[in-house]
Amino acid sequence: MNQNMSIMVVDDELVVRESLYHWFDREDYHVETASSGDEALKKLMKSNFDVLFVDMKMPGMSGFELLKKTKELYPDAAVVIITAYGSIDTAVKAMKAGASDYLLKPFKPDQLSLVMEKVLRQKKMNDEYTYLKGQLSKNNRFNDIIGESDAMKKVYSMITEVAKTDAPILILGETGTGKELVAKAIHAKSLRCSFPFVPINCGALPDSLLESELFGYNKGAFTGANQNRKGFLEVVSGGTLFLDEIGEISQKMQVDLLRVLQDKKITRLGDTRQIDIEFRLLSATRQNLDEKIVSGDFRNDFFYRINIISIEIPPLRNRREDIPLLAQHFLNKYSQETTRKIEKIDRNAMKYLIDYDWPGNVRELENAIERAVVLTKSKTISLDDINFLKPSSSNSLISKNASLKDMEREHIKKILEDNNWNISNAANILGVSRSTLHRMIKRHHLRK
Amino acid sequence: MPSNGFSLGIQPIGEIDNFFLKVITGSFLGELSIKTFILPPLKSPEYAFNKRKIQYDAGLIINRMEKMKFPECTKVIGIIDADLFIPVFSYVLGEARMKGRCAIISLFRLENNPERMAKVALHEFGHLMNLKHCQEKGCVMKFSNNVEQLDSNFSFFCEYCIDQLNYLLKK
Repeated sequence: MNQNMSIMVVDDELVVRESLYHWFDREDYHVETASSGDEALKKLMKSNFDVLFVDMKMPGMSGFELLKKTKELYPDAAVVIITAYGSIDTAVKAMKAGASDYLLKPFKPDQLSLVMEKVLRQKKMNDEYTYLKGQLSKNNRFNDIIGESDAMKKVYSMITEVAKTDAPILILGETGTGKELVAKAIHAKSLRCSFPFVPINCGALPDSLLESELFGYNKGAFTGANQNRKGFLEVVSGGTLFLDEIGEISQKMQVDLLRVLQDKKITRLGDTRQIDIEFRLLSATRQNLDEKIVSGDFRNDFFYRINIISIEIPPLRNRREDIPLLAQHFLNKYSQETTRKIEKIDRNAMKYLIDYDWPGNVRELENAIERAVVLTKSKTISLDDINFLKPSSSNSLISKNASLKDMEREHIKKILEDNNWNISNAANILGVSRSTLHRMIKRHHLRK
Repeated sequence: MPSNGFSLGIQPIGEIDNFFLKVITGSFLGELSIKTFILPPLKSPEYAFNKRKIQYDAGLIINRMEKMKFPECTKVIGIIDADLFIPVFSYVLGEARMKGRCAIISLFRLENNPERMAKVALHEFGHLMNLKHCQEKGCVMKFSNNVEQLDSNFSFFCEYCIDQLNYLLKK
């Protein structure tokens, strides 16, 4: 096949379609014809075409309208306008709307050959651009994930390994640890990197909406379905689908997705036809799915299907050595964004950041730095700029210099606060009597 | 090269110099060893004449030939000494459809050069046998936009095209 090029000839005149069809066929191109703009758009929906030869004057949708729609929906397709009604104005108009070239009927075979040479050159350049762009993103694959700790190095190593495979991956980690960044890194490093990466937060969508978003729908499938719409499972074709908060989806949706993963086929809502799909599934959760299986909220067959390999992202408190690096990165980022020239974080503030527990992980750290950059009055972030971060008792608990007495005090305080100072509940959790707890509160000078 | 009962008709359309017809039949015999007949001439195809263009529509002539009976011939190549066009191209040196039964070539732009005639006839015959344009330098199946490019091609098929043609002729 000539350069693997696919061509569509769109003309209302049969003789023109046939003539060009035979010419391209003899040149060994894959060629199809359409007698109207509507037919051409239908064919474009089903298959990819590299070049469209479009007659300017057609009944119904004009060639110019088809050119605009094609460039809007399929910007990579080259469109060559052919017409018998040529003028400088129409040529300029067509070229401005994105036409690659313009042929005036009848043309010499040489002219068609020259146009094809030009289009082939352009396609080669585009292919090279896409390839180089892909290479570049591969080189920067971990740029968005920051960390030099051993724990993160293990995560990078896992990403590199699993990216080569097509196995479903379950990414585990507390909120704010960067599960989506890990998913993006896996996609960017995989062979699917030039195809779409489609992230969906399952926790943010009610079940019915999630179903229509994933599977798509036909016009009239439900109230408000005014037009046909492809679902994400169709849109992702060839790429990677990332389902965040997978632990939130209903049992029914688990069954539906399990079937999709097994059959690789979907049916749009309100339709009976099955559509073949092909994608890689990455999912993530901050929940303990084992517990959800035991409680009956999560199907174990679905769990095994999505959890062929799992990657656990460590919480920030378990990789405190990465905090200075991350803090500096966010400082640079927000200094640039806000054009406030904040140069550094002073030693005390940095120590505070390192000691802080970060229950919201990297996201919380980012927000804290952003807030400090905006509110600080000097060129250095000091302790005063981050004092809105309240150290939790657990922070003190793991502090290296804390005494046993301090640890006891912090722990009792935390349990009391967690239980809204309900003495009976707190005493029960701490495993002491109510009177003992009262004595401890008095001894540690704790106040509500 | 065995032709397995394959026969090719050379169909003059209008008045054609007998010498040119013999050159064309000779090129088929020499290059492909296939049996070639010169058929009785047909009248000039006035039905295909376009007054505005002052040219003949190659597609219409092929359509008419496809409907005719040529009992002795597997494929037929029409020869006309008039300028041909197809609706999108301002002129063509010859026209054939892939795997079709009939093709046509025009001597009009070939400046009475018998070698060019043989090349165009072999090229269109290749299309009748389902050969596509060839990228091999000099192959007679390489597409020629004009006589200059035609002159840069040989009057024979490259080794790939001849292999394919052999296979198709034996089928």
